[in-house]
Amino acid sequence: MAAVCLYFQVHQPYRLRRYSYFNVGNSTTYFDDTLNRSIMEGVAKRCYLPANELLLRKIHEHAGAFKVAFSITGTALEQMRLYAPQALESFRALAATGCVEFLGETYYHSLASLYNRDEFKAQVQIHSDHIEREFGQRPQVFRNTELIYSDEIGHVISELGFRAVMVEGAQDILGWRSPHFIYRAAGSSMRLIPRSFTLSDDIAFRFTHGGDDDRGGLTPERYAASVHELTGNADLAGLFLDYETFGEHHGRATGILNFLGELPRCLLAHKEWTFATPSEAIRFLHPVSELSFPRVTSWADTDRDITAWCGNNMQRSALRALYDTMTLYAEHDINAPHMALACETWRRLQTSDHFYYMCTKGDGDGVVHRYFSPYESPYDAFVGYMNVLKDIAARSRKVIAEGERRAASNE
Amino acid sequence: MDFPKYAPYNPNTRGPAPYIRSPMKILMLGWEYPPHIAGGLGTACQGLTSALSHQGVDIHFVVPELFGREEARHMVLSDAARTISPGGQQPSGPRPQAVDVPTTRVPAFLSPYWNPRQFQEALASITQQQVASLSPALRRDPTARALIDGEVYGIDLMSALQHPQPSLPDQVPCDARYGKDLFEEVERFTLQVVSQFAGENFDVIHAHDWMTFPAGVALSERTGKPLVVHVHSLEQDRSGLFVHPQIGEIERFGTQHADKVIAVSYFTKRSIERHHGVPSSKILVVHNGVYPREMVTDYREKKTWPKHVVAFIGRVTFQKGPEYFVEMASKVIPHLPDALFVLAGTGDMLPAVKERVQELGLSKNFMFTGFIQGEELEEIFSVADIYVMPSVSEPFGITALEAVSFDTPVIVSKQSGVAEVIEHALKVDFWDVDRMADLIINALLHPEMRHDLVSMAREEIKQLHWDAAALKTIDVYQDVSPRASL
Repeated sequence: MAAVCLYFQVHQPYRLRRYSYFNVGNSTTYFDDTLNRSIMEGVAKRCYLPANELLLRKIHEHAGAFKVAFSITGTALEQMRLYAPQALESFRALAATGCVEFLGETYYHSLASLYNRDEFKAQVQIHSDHIEREFGQRPQVFRNTELIYSDEIGHVISELGFRAVMVEGAQDILGWRSPHFIYRAAGSSMRLIPRSFTLSDDIAFRFTHGGDDDRGGLTPERYAASVHELTGNADLAGLFLDYETFGEHHGRATGILNFLGELPRCLLAHKEWTFATPSEAIRFLHPVSELSFPRVTSWADTDRDITAWCGNNMQRSALRALYDTMTLYAEHDINAPHMALACETWRRLQTSDHFYYMCTKGDGDGVVHRYFSPYESPYDAFVGYMNVLKDIAARSRKVIAEGERRAASNE
Repeated sequence: MDFPKYAPYNPNTRGPAPYIRSPMKILMLGWEYPPHIAGGLGTACQGLTSALSHQGVDIHFVVPELFGREEARHMVLSDAARTISPGGQQPSGPRPQAVDVPTTRVPAFLSPYWNPRQFQEALASITQQQVASLSPALRRDPTARALIDGEVYGIDLMSALQHPQPSLPDQVPCDARYGKDLFEEVERFTLQVVSQFAGENFDVIHAHDWMTFPAGVALSERTGKPLVVHVHSLEQDRSGLFVHPQIGEIERFGTQHADKVIAVSYFTKRSIERHHGVPSSKILVVHNGVYPREMVTDYREKKTWPKHVVAFIGRVTFQKGPEYFVEMASKVIPHLPDALFVLAGTGDMLPAVKERVQELGLSKNFMFTGFIQGEELEEIFSVADIYVMPSVSEPFGITALEAVSFDTPVIVSKQSGVAEVIEHALKVDFWDVDRMADLIINALLHPEMRHDLVSMAREEIKQLHWDAAALKTIDVYQDVSPRASL
């Protein structure tokens, strides 16, 4: 038997408003609530609601044989609660079927795994708590922001108690090995579930509908056939995708939702194939060997590395400035009420998307970056971000100084 | 094996590439040619003709007057006045050599960037200089030199006007071969071109900017040869609200009568459509090229410049938006009190700009260099931390690309053609001085941002070579003249 492991990423960042240098010291309105609301409402309408409804129907139709996993970031969850409560409700309905698993990640979809271990652990705990409260299950399997992973990061994740991690099946890491098996993390019993990048990208980037007379488009039958071809040479097909692929990146008119709807039936048509959530997959499938990640990988851009967020000087400088601000909080109780706002903002600024917008790559990667960016250019993204960070740092220093003054006068 | 469609431009090679069969013959009408130039027009003509000739195109380039120092081995360069005099007769006597005849060069002060009022004013003041020009001292005077040799970054018209002007324009004595009025010059050029070239053999007439449009149209009517007009700038760009109606009419006349119109940017193409009602399908965009500079002297090490230098280099005229540069500076200075704003160039708005700087109390943060060229210009380009081009209306804006070739990042207005060809520039509406200041403060505070801007932009300008422009131009020639072939 082999299993299809279908996992969807749900994420929305808090996009910044155009915050000018002249706002520094004068305004604490950092985020573009109007834009964030309209994007969340739009994506809920075009993707989350119709796709959730479709999945729910298919789960019932297939009487438990069809299963999926979701990873929903904290920032997406919050904005859903604010702007699209029905979408959140429909995720709860999916959770109630018992056929849907929710994965763990950082609450803020951050790059903390690369820059600050304590902060990373804190954000993972916050996320797990929220998911448990919202969906009644504590995440057992982890997916880091944009599938960022290395042996070192794996070590921290296993310390946090996760039993498996979703990873990119990067070609240079796998070498001659296949992405269609479960592996063991280096020096650990933690499992690695690789993403089948060709099968996943066939849907994410190469989906085309053949039209009514169906010429050359990707049909669910054809797609299922390419999965079934693996029979005998695979334990697992890891299809990891942005959930927004369905209805948002590919609009409804492309037929992508019908494709998703027909996929379970077509995949289950082969008696050797079934669906498994990540937790089930590691329970039933044995790891074939250990797999070491000496470099940091991710599922982004052609190089599957982290240059999408820290490839140029602006990005590295912004990240340095961001995590330098941490020293301000280091000896301070960041949960103290007077620090709460500054700290929450600082964490929202850690969302990887802010750095993704600053990417200056050209060609194919550049097109994808620009598609997601609300800015006219990476330079606009950098300038706005640095202005906000400057304001936060100044305010935090002030708050800390005041706190110290108050403490001194009380003595 | 296929031959490459084009080879990189090499000014040292001459003649057609070996795979060219029968060369296409182009009669090109221009108004200036380096080194005697007043703006980007002459430089653009040099770049385009060099690359066209490298592709095997035969060019005969005609200007109203030559000065003896032009070098154009890649084509025939001639002077309409040299062979045909106003009445159609041969001019008497040999033309004087450039070195010793400042007076005969005076009439060529007429510049593509002047409207008739400026032309009259300049002529008035120049007459004064003409008298004095016998003195070698004056020939060394930068203002006079600028006027005589032409200049890339702005005619020092204001300095010229500061001279006393006792005589009325009407009474100005003129060289016999030149009219006292710009339009008369244009008309004379038209007559000369038609009488001289109506019987010549060529495939396409290619006319650069409005001064040559009447000649192009007249010659095309006479010979039936197709006409391509090339719009480097429009009267709307140069003069804003104070458009000279007759120049606007000539531009409309030329663009409407041409078989095809070449615009230097989509920005200019839209203007031609809007102002002259030319159908979009008739206008093709051919962006200018640029020659990347290989070596730059490190002026930063030579001289002590302040930590932050922001530069404006260009004619200080309505078109270039110098007042927005000043307003932007007034917003930057409170946050970066050491920043130096260099305003290099001159023009009719300079006194007003200086006055505004004083009024704002920013004199110590400003440096007015006047018109500069050569090493002085290179120094400003290379010590600047950022180059600002806040043009209100800029058909192309080649100086922004030059700044990049000096490793200086640029901020350009969205109302410029250059914004279309270079992605890695900061872009802002010319009127949005708050945004401009925000971007500039951050660029000054963050060297990493300047580094990313420049390293990406340098790669981009490598792609902006004249060969690409030549190939697009050849497509236009083949489109209008099926007989013309490579």
